[in-house]
Amino acid sequence: MDTLRLIGAMAWRNLWNAKGKNTLVGLLMLFGTFLVVTGTSILDSIDRAMTRSITQSVAGHLQVHSKEGRDDLALFGSGFMGADDLGLMPDFSRVKQVLLGVPGVRAVIPMGTDFFDIYTATEMDHAIERLRKALEAGDTARVDLVATRIRAMADLLRAEFGRRKQILRNHEEIDQHLAVIDRVRGDGFWNALRGPPSADDGTAGIEFLDTQLAPLVDENEGYYLQALGTNVQEFSRTFEQFELASGTMIPEGQHGVLLNQKFYDDYLRNPVARAMDQLRDDVVEKGKRIDEDPLLRAKVGRMSRQYRRITFQLDVAQSERLAAELRDFMPGATGSIDDLVQRFLQVDDSNLLPRHRFFFAEVAPLIRMYLFPVGDLITLRAYTRAGTIKSANVKVWGTFRFKGLEKSALAGGHSLMDMMTFRGLYGLMTEDKRKELAGIKEAAGLKDVDRDQAEDALFGEGAEVERKVEPKAGFDEFRGVDLAASGRSDGNGTFDPALVDKGLAMHAAVLLDDIGRIPEARAAIEQASEAAGLGLKVVDWEQASGIVGQLVVLVRGVLYVAIGIIFLVALVIINNTMVMATLERTMEIGTMRAPGAMSGLVRRLFLLETLLLGLLAGTLGAALGFAFVTHLGTAGIPAPTDEMIFLFSGPRLFPDVGADNVIAGLVAIVVVSLLATLYPAAIATRIEPVVAMSPRE
Amino acid sequence: MRFAVLPLVAFALPVAVGARAAPLDEAGTKALMKELDDRQRNSGDYKAMVFLERKEKDKNDLVYELVVYRRDADDKLMMLFLKPKAEAGRGYLRIDRNLFMYDPTTGKWDRRTERERIGGTDSRRQDYDESRLAEDYVAKYVGEEDLGRFKVHHVRLDAKSEADVAFPIMHVWVDQATGNMLKSQEHAQSGKLMRTSFYPKWERMFSPSKGADVYFPREIRIFDEVEKGNKSTIVIEQVALSTLPANIFTKAWLEARSR
Repeated sequence: MDTLRLIGAMAWRNLWNAKGKNTLVGLLMLFGTFLVVTGTSILDSIDRAMTRSITQSVAGHLQVHSKEGRDDLALFGSGFMGADDLGLMPDFSRVKQVLLGVPGVRAVIPMGTDFFDIYTATEMDHAIERLRKALEAGDTARVDLVATRIRAMADLLRAEFGRRKQILRNHEEIDQHLAVIDRVRGDGFWNALRGPPSADDGTAGIEFLDTQLAPLVDENEGYYLQALGTNVQEFSRTFEQFELASGTMIPEGQHGVLLNQKFYDDYLRNPVARAMDQLRDDVVEKGKRIDEDPLLRAKVGRMSRQYRRITFQLDVAQSERLAAELRDFMPGATGSIDDLVQRFLQVDDSNLLPRHRFFFAEVAPLIRMYLFPVGDLITLRAYTRAGTIKSANVKVWGTFRFKGLEKSALAGGHSLMDMMTFRGLYGLMTEDKRKELAGIKEAAGLKDVDRDQAEDALFGEGAEVERKVEPKAGFDEFRGVDLAASGRSDGNGTFDPALVDKGLAMHAAVLLDDIGRIPEARAAIEQASEAAGLGLKVVDWEQASGIVGQLVVLVRGVLYVAIGIIFLVALVIINNTMVMATLERTMEIGTMRAPGAMSGLVRRLFLLETLLLGLLAGTLGAALGFAFVTHLGTAGIPAPTDEMIFLFSGPRLFPDVGADNVIAGLVAIVVVSLLATLYPAAIATRIEPVVAMSPRE
Repeated sequence: MRFAVLPLVAFALPVAVGARAAPLDEAGTKALMKELDDRQRNSGDYKAMVFLERKEKDKNDLVYELVVYRRDADDKLMMLFLKPKAEAGRGYLRIDRNLFMYDPTTGKWDRRTERERIGGTDSRRQDYDESRLAEDYVAKYVGEEDLGRFKVHHVRLDAKSEADVAFPIMHVWVDQATGNMLKSQEHAQSGKLMRTSFYPKWERMFSPSKGADVYFPREIRIFDEVEKGNKSTIVIEQVALSTLPANIFTKAWLEARSR
């Protein structure tokens, strides 16, 4: 004990005597500890936030899908386009029954992901279709109403093609278009359309609008919906982050979709309104200037070219009123409503905010702000694996969001669809369908020909390529055919809720009672699947999240590598400093050795000096780290990108620091420091007393 | 409008047949293409029952039965799917340069392009429609070749700038003896070969309205050259040349079929 006290006193004295060098080494240790405490705290917080984002939005704790799938499950995208091949679980009820039998499994939710086209038509196509239906129904009032609308749009098209004629060289083609437009603008066309049907088919006027006028409008664009087919009601109850944003939940036993609010705002909102808001955010929140930023100028250009997204929606009275208001708002402005709106949308830094206010106060109430409102029936179209097209009319019951992830594009990727509609659009080949196709094929009696042998097989010896056939009286193409068999999907059909579990699912989310028991639950599910012959592949939420999971691994890797490098540098610097210090203390150490101090004593002295320095610097570093993370826990770390919003489970991360982070920092710095001292200590033990007695040079 | 070409057909046919002896000059090549078009065109109406099959690697075969209605004089075409049940009532309507698709499950019409893969197969609208090679393409004679046991003319076709066609470059091989097209290859603008089609069986039927035979390919074998191994086959099982109802080429008529 006396020896220890002596060594302690000597160590303190030595540290104090070389306080310049030791301060440097101590600062390095302090910084290392600070970094470990801060880094591991933030990483742990990201881990928890990300776990919440992924497990409580879509993934659950585990995901299962068929082993026969060629791709890995990637809920947030694999980085490649197209739907992944995950195989199929043809009977989900069996999977659910087996998995719920595994201890610790709380819920199993069926899922299937696919992309769908949202059917859209131009304003002109919509109007012509309404006119056709009104004419078929003999509804003259509606015919008059739609006719006025079409003529107003024709007036706008006339002005548009007039402008094009001034710019383009091909006048002949433009004159043909203008002739079409002028015919529609004239009274004669509409009198003939309302009059008695002509001799041929009675719909010549509609056909003219449909085939000659409508193709001149070219503003239609495609919209794609990524939807997760699931048991929507159970999904909403099970995933804690789920929150209905507008509308109502899809009632059990009814078809429908819930759109992700982020998707609804970002893609289905009127493009002019969207661009106005984006420009305001860029200028007000991000401090950018339109006159300095070419990207913003391009955005303004694109927005002003979208003027017809406003003008085509206005009736004559609205158009005249808005034109008058715009002339008041922009003194000196002249021209048609098209000209005025286009000019209004050419915003700059000086007028952006007043025009933004004017737009939402005066223009927005006159137009449809979304491609379709909540409550509407929309038409979705899917391209099946077989290459055929499947369509359905589906009601939009509402919008939803994942709490805290409202601004995350990744979390906004999925909308929800009832499982029965999803299965209908998926177009699974059933045994009945297979038999029907085999029957059609057999009746045709066609021989298969291979591409490589086609020329010989079709045109070789004995081939005759022409023959005369006698005319037939005709044939009845509809004999034995039921054209109504495919069934109209009116979006209002109901189904037995029990059927949701009975049928195919592409994958399923498994939720556990205890997130800490994922590895055990995974092993147990694999075992149960094997025993029941389900052929399931089981992946944890991190693997299932695809490109996001890889991002998380990357972030974690970068942070650990950074900490590793810091410690390596610290190790080298401490080592060098201590070696230098040892060489400078040769006399002192030799003198200690002369009266009989053993080499063990010298080693212990060196290690104790480092331990004391490490504990002191480490404690200070850990305290600083603790204070810093606590401050961040209040102020928050802003998420700079969409991906980070998702990883942070919100627009800011509020990290917290635990005892484990502080202890990890302290232990790490002490261990690294002691390791760095082993070599200098070894040098010191090799110093002989005679060296101390040698005269200095 | 097309009735005006009838006297020309009477004149062009012997010229073209005479011109089939190889090799062909520019006028002979043009006449050959015109003959190909004219012999398939009926001045009256046309109705055909069609079997359509598509085979693709690792996928279930697609099989359809459909009826095709044509009124060449008015540039109108209607295709109505009859089988299988899941596709029954789906249809395409072409009027001038507009191609519309109707989906009976949603009751919606949709504009489609010339590149539309009919029913998800490798076939395009032009495979079912009247032949318009002379109208849509500029022909250039390539040479005489053998195709199996047949001597054929090889002609390159480049789409005219105003033509709206699925493939901007085509190569066709025409039987010297009968004047029937036996093979065609369709290319993208880049020159990439997209598909190869064979026409091994032609049938001709007397048309009272035309006063001459109308030709139609009984079988078209289409091989996808991009996705090797994928192929589609069109079989024209029955043809009738009697007059169709006046209002058949309308959206309302097609909608009414599946109500």
